[in-house]
Amino acid sequence: MLQRDVLVIGAGPAGLAASIEAGKAGADVLLVDLNMQPGGQLFKQIHKFFGSSAHRSGTRGYDIGKQLLKEAEEAGVEIWMQSTVIGIFPGNKIGIEKGLDNGDKEIITLQAKKIIIATGASENAIRFEGWTTPGVMGAGAAQTMINVNHVKPGKKIVMLGTGNVGLIVSYQLMQAGCDVVALVEAAPKIGGYAVHAAKIRRAGVPIYLCHTIIEAIKGEDGCVCGCVIAKVDDKFQPIPGTEETIECDTITLAAGLKPTMDLVKLADCKLTFNGPFGGYIPLHNEKMETSREGVFVAGDTTGVEEANTALEEGKIAGISAAEELGLISSENADLMRAEIWKRLDALRLGPFGERRMMEKEHILKEYREIIGTPISAE
Amino acid sequence: MMSKDFDVVVIGAGAIGTSVAYHLCEAGYHTALLERGDIASGSSSHCDAVALICDKLPGIDTKMGQASIDYFGELAAKFEYDFEYDPKGCLYICETEPEFEAASEYCKKQNADGYKLRMVDQAELCQMEPHIAKDLRGALYTPPSGSIAVSPYKLCFAFVHEAAKLGLETYTYCDITKINLHPKTNAVESLETNYGTIRTKRIVNCAGAWAPFVGKLTGLNIPIEPRKGTNLVSEQTERLCFHKILEYGYMMSKFDSINFKRNVSPLVEEQNIAFNLEYTPSNNLLVGGNRLFRSYDIRSEVETLKAICERAMRFYPELADIKCIRAYSGVRPFVVDHLPIVSDVDSIPGYYIAAGHEGDGICFSPITGRFMTQIISSKETDFDISKLDFARFAS
Repeated sequence: MLQRDVLVIGAGPAGLAASIEAGKAGADVLLVDLNMQPGGQLFKQIHKFFGSSAHRSGTRGYDIGKQLLKEAEEAGVEIWMQSTVIGIFPGNKIGIEKGLDNGDKEIITLQAKKIIIATGASENAIRFEGWTTPGVMGAGAAQTMINVNHVKPGKKIVMLGTGNVGLIVSYQLMQAGCDVVALVEAAPKIGGYAVHAAKIRRAGVPIYLCHTIIEAIKGEDGCVCGCVIAKVDDKFQPIPGTEETIECDTITLAAGLKPTMDLVKLADCKLTFNGPFGGYIPLHNEKMETSREGVFVAGDTTGVEEANTALEEGKIAGISAAEELGLISSENADLMRAEIWKRLDALRLGPFGERRMMEKEHILKEYREIIGTPISAE
Repeated sequence: MMSKDFDVVVIGAGAIGTSVAYHLCEAGYHTALLERGDIASGSSSHCDAVALICDKLPGIDTKMGQASIDYFGELAAKFEYDFEYDPKGCLYICETEPEFEAASEYCKKQNADGYKLRMVDQAELCQMEPHIAKDLRGALYTPPSGSIAVSPYKLCFAFVHEAAKLGLETYTYCDITKINLHPKTNAVESLETNYGTIRTKRIVNCAGAWAPFVGKLTGLNIPIEPRKGTNLVSEQTERLCFHKILEYGYMMSKFDSINFKRNVSPLVEEQNIAFNLEYTPSNNLLVGGNRLFRSYDIRSEVETLKAICERAMRFYPELADIKCIRAYSGVRPFVVDHLPIVSDVDSIPGYYIAAGHEGDGICFSPITGRFMTQIISSKETDFDISKLDFARFAS
């Protein structure tokens, strides 16, 4: 059976950063991802990042992705793309459906001493009548279509949700030549940054606050041809008689993300529920180790945040895995982690960040109280 | 805290426990059903979905199997809750001549007892199952009258739903910390639980693979062991098979006494694989299976999955092009003589056991409920079930 020191699952910012750190320390690292290209969501983020210069503010997401890839190559990381982890089995055995160059797939079983799960997050669906009609999709999916695949998801678009994802993707859809006809928001105010909302407003796109979509209308071709929106009361329930119909061919849903837990659950990691972080997440410690010895997590899998926190957490996971393999001394690893935690604290500031800082501390505390020392898998 | 009185307390809400509870309610007993987790959260939601007579030994086993299958039909007609009762025929595939001969022998014995099984040759098999491999010797066919499918977890919910109408009280996520016995007579008196004290003169241990843990609360040694089985679930697909399909080697993995040497790879042998395949109402295929002792660890093992796939593709080559979307494993309550325990307990008046059905729990659930109610009511059971007595382990 194939053997590796470290298997990293997910080649987004967290997985790439983890691979680079473990690889630099001398570990034999395999990074797998089911997409065509490594970089995760970075390659569709054509906007400039906010934050401090230590966190590449002013740099566009895809440039960060390119730089990480180069570093991973330099660190000797082996990357398998279009490869899906299909199971984590007893004895740290991992089943991978490996994508071959000729387009075929091959099932490979390998054993890894350490596993780092950085599978990110998936979009929340909102259920209304007709929500499965072709033309209803996640805002992230629409963003991938325009920025990665260069395909317009539709001509006339209604966006549900005005968080940063809803606002940024709406603007990028407009830049791509789509007609964004309305943004719909159940809350009484816009969720994301004012600077993003202003771009939408300036373009004259109406933002319906205190509204929700109650139905996707199906056309003769079986696809979306419009949607019915309605005002909601203070309990977010639609108010009868306030319905309006908007003509559109695409409905995009930007209703938040939830951490992708499938592999974490397969690895039998202990979970905790955390609303602000998007739902169930794996309990983890300062080393990003889960309740399972040798299984680490990083990035949105540990709670939905953003690319920079994912990067920093990925580094911690990579350093900790290398430490457990005896490739970095504990003193050095502690120093490196302390530096990174300082940067993470700096990232978790401001109106959105402070809450996350508190929640993160709470999770670490819960880990100390419930888990203490990671449990051996056997 | 609750302090309640019941005529009978049933422990375990799998197929056996829910059936026992339903039958007790039907007979007029004020009954409580206690479950450590949720309804059907153990073996009854980690198994496959068929009830057959053709996997039973000739004699009492088959007789009970047939009676239970007949009874399923009655329940399906009577119950408001649909448990996806589907009479579908079954084919036991004989890969080779020696298997075909052994199956013919078995078929003859069953025919002599009046069961309408019959052998089909290669040509007829290919007609009945157009997608099956073309080099198989034949099969043992059981008509739908002796081979049905039900949804195991819906069956549990159906029993609970119908029993609730008759007054059943169900307590899920219930931890039993103590079973109190009378200091002199040793008879059952009450149970201590996280719901409070429950007073009752009779308890039925229906905890399946976990029955030994319940037994320990009163110092009973119940010789049941967890035996792991694994199934794969396919994506939704065109109907690939039209019957419940098993390989005759399955009998071998079930009854060690029947000894065939199959022409299989070391992996298939080591993993104790017995191919079986069935379609579901949602058109996903269930592909199995195997039996291994792994204590209570129900994590699926990659070697098992590979071995099941390897064996399955030998019988249905087209499976190679169908995706597996998921796998699950569960434990079956194994008893060394392959017979369940459906019995009272001599040393503890008021203590009953209905557990240890291994892979027959779903099939035998209706009739086990009926038997247990007959035992508790001191009535004669439909069949002589002295073979299922707990006292057989007394030595």
